[in-house]
Amino acid sequence: MTSGPRSERLRDEHQAAALLRDGMTIAIGEPAPMALVRAIIRRGLRDLTVIASGLHLDMLIAAGCVRKVISYYAGGGFGVAVAPAFRRAAEGGDIEVWECEEGLLTSGLEAAAKGLPFLPWRGGVGTSLPEVNPDLKVMRDPIAGETLIAVPAIRPDVALLHAACADVYGNVQHCAGPGWLDLFLQRAATCTIVQVEKIIANEQVRADPWATTIARADVVVRMPYGAHPYFSRGYYVQDSAWLEDYVTAAAQGGTALTDFVGHFCREPASHGDYLERIGIKRLLGLYEY
Amino acid sequence: MANHCSISELLACFLAQDLNDGEELQVGIALPIPEAAVRLAHLMHGPNMELIFLGARMNVHHLERVPLPAYGWDRRVVRWSESFSDRGHRFDQVKDWHRRVFFIGGIQVDPYGNTNLIGIGEDFKRLKFRGPGSVGTPTLTTHVGRYYIVLNSHSPRIFVPKCDFVSTVGWGQGGADARQRLGLPGGGPKYCITPLCVMDFSADEKRLRLRSLHPGVSLDEVRRQTGFALIVPAVVPTTELPSREALQVLRERVDSVGALR
Repeated sequence: MTSGPRSERLRDEHQAAALLRDGMTIAIGEPAPMALVRAIIRRGLRDLTVIASGLHLDMLIAAGCVRKVISYYAGGGFGVAVAPAFRRAAEGGDIEVWECEEGLLTSGLEAAAKGLPFLPWRGGVGTSLPEVNPDLKVMRDPIAGETLIAVPAIRPDVALLHAACADVYGNVQHCAGPGWLDLFLQRAATCTIVQVEKIIANEQVRADPWATTIARADVVVRMPYGAHPYFSRGYYVQDSAWLEDYVTAAAQGGTALTDFVGHFCREPASHGDYLERIGIKRLLGLYEY
Repeated sequence: MANHCSISELLACFLAQDLNDGEELQVGIALPIPEAAVRLAHLMHGPNMELIFLGARMNVHHLERVPLPAYGWDRRVVRWSESFSDRGHRFDQVKDWHRRVFFIGGIQVDPYGNTNLIGIGEDFKRLKFRGPGSVGTPTLTTHVGRYYIVLNSHSPRIFVPKCDFVSTVGWGQGGADARQRLGLPGGGPKYCITPLCVMDFSADEKRLRLRSLHPGVSLDEVRRQTGFALIVPAVVPTTELPSREALQVLRERVDSVGALR
């Protein structure tokens, strides 16, 4: 009996981006895998349902990629209470907002992971959340008769994550633990694509299997500095000045925002080209953790 | 102002003295006054407090230099962490949150301490102002032992007879059993704190009641800036001023960048 070699799951950024299509439900981890987010914008994907909270969500909206938002928080920071493009699009009716909060979101993701139609949650009882989001059903629990909210399964087509390391077989190791949502997203999603700071040997994974946070990611992509302008645990800190520049451009809107997104997300043909635009000196200045 | 402190410093010191040793103090982002207050309480009288911020759970009482308030999203705060409350399962032990204390802001607050982070307008699909969203406040305020509503301004636009949308339930429609009737196990909001005054909730109705006016603030001004009738006791004291020691610790060991001044 013969068999071929074990299949490698390492892909380049273009192969990984080609797996993403118009209309998909895409879940984005924390810190956001920004190189993949920029690839979505570069490809000009449209009509996405995006599960994300933060300024990367705002950039995707600014780039016209988003139809529906599943988010617990779209704050702006840097003196702006609400992410500017999100605010404009929501107020103008250009995007649909599936209103939720952290506990409701994770309940929906866990329902998907466990193959259940819904899971109950208490947070949100008595609030307007079930009114503004009719998918959330106020229910009477059959055990104790309490009032709870039934959260329908939230099933992402793809989870996009950023982590420290992976081997070519999709064994992922976060540094200093996974971000708080990443494992929920991975368990719920049909397909998980993880960009990592570096590829490590399978032997290194075997040396400490306990450190593996995600086994069998479908695709891994080598993206050093791939979370910029966000942080990457163990590698670099957040580039707050860049984010502030984004918020300034986003608050202005119009050509200021189009030019900003064009310069950093559309024009660079690859992640390497993006990093060249950021500049080696700036990147080195962030290299601490 | 007396004692030469700012309103934000006054509020941080007021909050700090209301926090007890042994409590878990969780602060979300964009709340600089609570962020400073929990550090101050920890240093002054809370060797067994645990501070939870951005998923980092820390006790830094023994350190001469404590992590400065980030006043924003800066994950470097995890350097002081003993564990990560976000290790994949942040909301998996809510049964124990009765000893946790939490702080929220809001774009609207009604007479029963219900608040709104969703948006302003009549139609959710055509909001006049789209808010940032609820983060984890509905779940946290449902379960924590008590929480504080901390606002950066005090105006009739914020204090409204009825929130356009409710993202956190304080005392619902009012009444001492309001939360029990909704099945919310947590203790609810204790104080609502603004640049003008401190408010608590009346015992029976659970309606906002003036507790103290900050130095130099008149009752008239508070009434003018509140969009509903506040319960006003016969005697309204002045908000307690920070002790010299508290102010010194706040300035030298907590807010050395002077963000609250």
